[in-house]
Amino acid sequence: MSRFDRQSFLGSDSEERLFGAMLGLVGLGGGGSHVAQQTAHLGIGGYVLVDPDHITETNTNRLIGGRLADLKNEVKKTAIAERQIRGLMERPRTATVTDTWHNATADLKACDIIVGSLDSFVQREQLERFARRYLIPYIDMGMDVHDLGNGEFLIAGQVVLSMPGGPCLRCAGLITDERLAAEANRYGAAGARPQVVWSNGVLASTAVGIIVQLLTPWFRKMPQFIYLDYDGNRGTVTPNERMNLYQGRTCRHHPPEETGDLLFDVRKFVRRRAIPPRKEAKNGGSNLFHKIRAGRIFGKASSRRERG
Amino acid sequence: MDEHAVRTPEGRGVNVQLRITRHLLHTVRLDLARPHPFAYERVGFLAAGLSSRANDLWVLVRSYRAVADGDYLHDPSVGAMMGPEAIRKALQWAMSDGVAIFHVHAHPGRGHPRFSGLDLREQAKFVPNFFHVAPQCPHGALVLSDVFAYGHIWLSEDRPYDVITRFSEVGVPLKEWSPL
Repeated sequence: MSRFDRQSFLGSDSEERLFGAMLGLVGLGGGGSHVAQQTAHLGIGGYVLVDPDHITETNTNRLIGGRLADLKNEVKKTAIAERQIRGLMERPRTATVTDTWHNATADLKACDIIVGSLDSFVQREQLERFARRYLIPYIDMGMDVHDLGNGEFLIAGQVVLSMPGGPCLRCAGLITDERLAAEANRYGAAGARPQVVWSNGVLASTAVGIIVQLLTPWFRKMPQFIYLDYDGNRGTVTPNERMNLYQGRTCRHHPPEETGDLLFDVRKFVRRRAIPPRKEAKNGGSNLFHKIRAGRIFGKASSRRERG
Repeated sequence: MDEHAVRTPEGRGVNVQLRITRHLLHTVRLDLARPHPFAYERVGFLAAGLSSRANDLWVLVRSYRAVADGDYLHDPSVGAMMGPEAIRKALQWAMSDGVAIFHVHAHPGRGHPRFSGLDLREQAKFVPNFFHVAPQCPHGALVLSDVFAYGHIWLSEDRPYDVITRFSEVGVPLKEWSPL
């Protein structure tokens, strides 16, 4: 009997697939902490955990895994997420980067999927661009509380699956120049935006469902472009009208020419690793390669921070 | 480094992962399946961007170009023989765009494909030439089946090829395989 018996409908090899996956979680606050917990329950084995902040008192209304005792020690959100994961699974592969995601790119580009739970539209667009540069699916979560002006509020959010080559956050109308400009104008002016645990949970659970469907699908005809709206007042998650409209379309905002590192030079790669020219093997290749079975090789984060 | 990573005879491992979107891979397969006026099979070229980290090298496929009908040579002894113009155009692509170039053809079927002896001999002749025009990029060759792919990559002109150790077909759902 396995702890995963109740999710065996995901496939006979689902346990192996999920454990072998490497997930990049950028932002480990209200949304990202839910995703870390749920994916650890599922048995996903690899994580790049990125967040520059430590827990504060105002986080404790929603940060999953955070404890009041963590406040005094100013425990990093990455450490809280890692603690959650290690409490739920054996030998996870984790890399923690307590910094902005821009300083985690070496680890993030090795991920199979990146999940962004960021407040800033600028950051969300940049992270999506990064993911597309390395042909990595990006799942974006966003939530806001809007003042309706009559003493009532609207809780709204969205989850978007941004596949390389397919419609992006700009195609979806979620990122616009006007929105970026408005955000820039607000910079540093307003206090923290309202966030609550249950709506974060709905959005995170929706994102986790997409992660599972990407890794070990339980039904066949999943859309390639997903844009789901959450209406917290009605308690609904529904497809945005652009989801069907843009299905099957290609993106014009992220051209294929942007893929890869701009100044990559394989000669430096070879020199850095001091790979000498090899003696010619029989059949023009390296027979050794054919004798060694390669297992999962990229599902591992950099050793400098890795603990397993 | 992962314990399963491929090791060179010197003991240093290079993990080469090729990522390609399902949409592009499907486009390539459809194009290669088109009949040619006289050749038995079709060939083409893929351009790729690159990235690395420690022992890991990522080949990130950007786009595909078919070899034009008129750039094949009549040679009934082989499935397809590219003429010099086909090679020239691919070299031009590598030089002008500064991209890694991978020759691609198909072996229909649902299994894990491998290169034929003829494929290996021909690759060894023309792939190293790409380093004359784009030495900053690795270059190589791929063979596709209907389901999987297999490939060789040259990291420099003076090294024999390495085997691409992992393929990622980026679509919904994600598909990955290691051909070794």
